[in-house]
Amino acid sequence: MRDTQLLKLESVTRSVLLPDDSELHILNGINLSVSEGDHIAIVGRSGTGKSTLLNILGLLDRPTTGHLAWRGIDATKLSARRAAHIRGRDLGFVFQQFNLLPGRTALENVMAPLMYATGADFWRRKTLATEALEKVGLGARLDSMPQTLSGGEQQRVAIARALVRRPRVVLADEPTGALDVATGRAVMELLDAATVESGAALITITHDINVAAMAREQFQLDEGTLKPLTLEVTS
Amino acid sequence: MKSMARLFTGFIASLLEAWQELRIHKLRVLLSLVGVTIAVASLTTAVAGASVAQQLMTEQLERSGRPALINTYAFNQRSDDLPAADAAVTEAFKKTTERFDVEYASMVSRASGYRMLHQGTSIDPELLVADPAYASIHRLFAQYGRWLEAEDAQNLAPAVVIDRTVAQKLGLDENSLPASVDIDVAGQVVSATVIGATSTRDGGLDGQVWMLPQTYEHWFAAKAPLTDATYEMWVPVENAEELAVHFSAQMRAELPGYQVEAMRSDYLTWGGDENLRMLALVAGGIAGIILLLGSLSLLNVAMVTMKQRIREVGIRRSFGATTGRVFFSVLMESVVATAVAGGIGVLISVAVVTNPKILNMFLGSGIDQMPPFPVGAALAGILISIGVGALTGVLPALVAARVKIVDAIRV
Ligand SMILES: Nc1ncnc2c1ncn2[C@@H]1O[C@H](COP(=O)(O)OP(=O)(O)OP(=O)(O)O)[C@@H](O)[C@H]1O
Ligand SMILES: [Mg+2]
Repeated sequence: MRDTQLLKLESVTRSVLLPDDSELHILNGINLSVSEGDHIAIVGRSGTGKSTLLNILGLLDRPTTGHLAWRGIDATKLSARRAAHIRGRDLGFVFQQFNLLPGRTALENVMAPLMYATGADFWRRKTLATEALEKVGLGARLDSMPQTLSGGEQQRVAIARALVRRPRVVLADEPTGALDVATGRAVMELLDAATVESGAALITITHDINVAAMAREQFQLDEGTLKPLTLEVTS
Repeated sequence: MKSMARLFTGFIASLLEAWQELRIHKLRVLLSLVGVTIAVASLTTAVAGASVAQQLMTEQLERSGRPALINTYAFNQRSDDLPAADAAVTEAFKKTTERFDVEYASMVSRASGYRMLHQGTSIDPELLVADPAYASIHRLFAQYGRWLEAEDAQNLAPAVVIDRTVAQKLGLDENSLPASVDIDVAGQVVSATVIGATSTRDGGLDGQVWMLPQTYEHWFAAKAPLTDATYEMWVPVENAEELAVHFSAQMRAELPGYQVEAMRSDYLTWGGDENLRMLALVAGGIAGIILLLGSLSLLNVAMVTMKQRIREVGIRRSFGATTGRVFFSVLMESVVATAVAGGIGVLISVAVVTNPKILNMFLGSGIDQMPPFPVGAALAGILISIGVGALTGVLPALVAARVKIVDAIRV
């Protein structure tokens, strides 16, 4: 299982042009390989480019230079349309700000990704979404609006939404950033268990060393490069 | 196969997404659509009203003779300035119409000096002496009973057809036909039978009555001979003028000593339908301006709210929405909304146009029978609203489709 490679980054750089015409180098040569079932944590100070890296991993953004492969295909040459289809089918996102669709119930939020599916996934979206919400312990809150849910509950809705199409990779950008320590830990355990169960790879970006410690592998992003991190945590 | 399925589910999902979006923003959608509803209602009403008015006016105009109507007059010395109504002319007209294969031809003469009596009521209607074809020529038909037939000339009592005015004055209705009435000509009272009634009210205050020439000749001519007559023909519009020329020439040959004139004289020859077209144009123009203003405010609201929704678009893109899908969903939102608004507008228009009180207020005439709502106008209303929705949806849809995901989801 571990040898099925999903994502591979080789010397990936990302730079942006600032308004004053100077170039800002955010990522300077990232090498990373993600295989099925991997649980990876990436830590780093604010502004080091963690979100930028995650966006590239999630096919939301493209490297400036370097090589990015998705299951052996050159992802830098994918059409926007193909990338969107891969995102829909194989990638799930969890954000720090939950990013639930306002005005829609928890159930509608979890159904939303299935609107971009075809076949049985599309037609059975209500059942699938209900099951996904039950799995995160929100079977009783199907018709609740996001603003009536607590932060932890909202993030659990977001997790259900990220997992409802059974993605191969789940990308979480500071999933506990807006939660208190205990709630954050519970949410993280849920995310961890759910991805273990579905066999999806999980890449978590975090400030929190304790959160990072839950992953099997840890990296630190510093000055645009990724270095393996060995944690001596007491927990 | 797979791409077809994707297209199909994509289409359905876009509609669902559009509907959800509209449901969430009910109030804003409602307000921004008021303009569209009003515009579509007035546009549809203008089109439908014009078409109903046209229909009613055409009916009214055609009662003075359907195109092409040729009037023939024969003058002789004895009849002074009036076209003669004597047997020779009638005979010559009959022969000539047969010769020219004219299907619808009728003598028309107005009798005077008589009264109509029924159960103590006495009225003074206009009595028209005409052949059976008169009904076809003037788009008349009996609403109750039946129209005159050639055989009615042999009836034991004179057969007459009355109009709605006469029927009301004499207190006759559907169930009382055929009814017996008295006709008093210069003191001599003849009992006549009313065999039918039209729905028209075109005559004077006391209405109109029709009778066959043979009937008049047999019962009334001795006391009050007809003084004048015209002879009408309803012919195909093509070559009608040419026919009139040949026809009068032939009549002249049949009637030595007479001067014969035949000319086309239906409403098309005097442009009776011009006003109507102007009315429809003006009403349509005003509605068009309202529609333009309505769409602009719709576009404005859509653009403003699009800015607030960029984040939402980014989120959707993150779970697989293609740019095409985002574009289509936002476009559909606009189309679904305006289609609903337009549908309501059309319903309002139907309520207005099929309401006799309102219609009579505008047309200033007494219509008793409401014409059905023109389907074409309703369809036009719906199509226009969908078109407006598509046009005003394109811009916000373009904005939405061009959203860069990374920018949209950054906090
Ligand atoms: N499109 C852009 N234009 C200009 N600057 C950018 C752009 N994208 C990212 N940056 C800059 O690149 C740096 C890295 O951004 P990024 O969001 O990846 O950091 P981060 O590690 O996720 O930070 P945080 O922990 O605060 O979320 C920041 O300094 C940011 O301002
Ligand atoms: Mg970040």
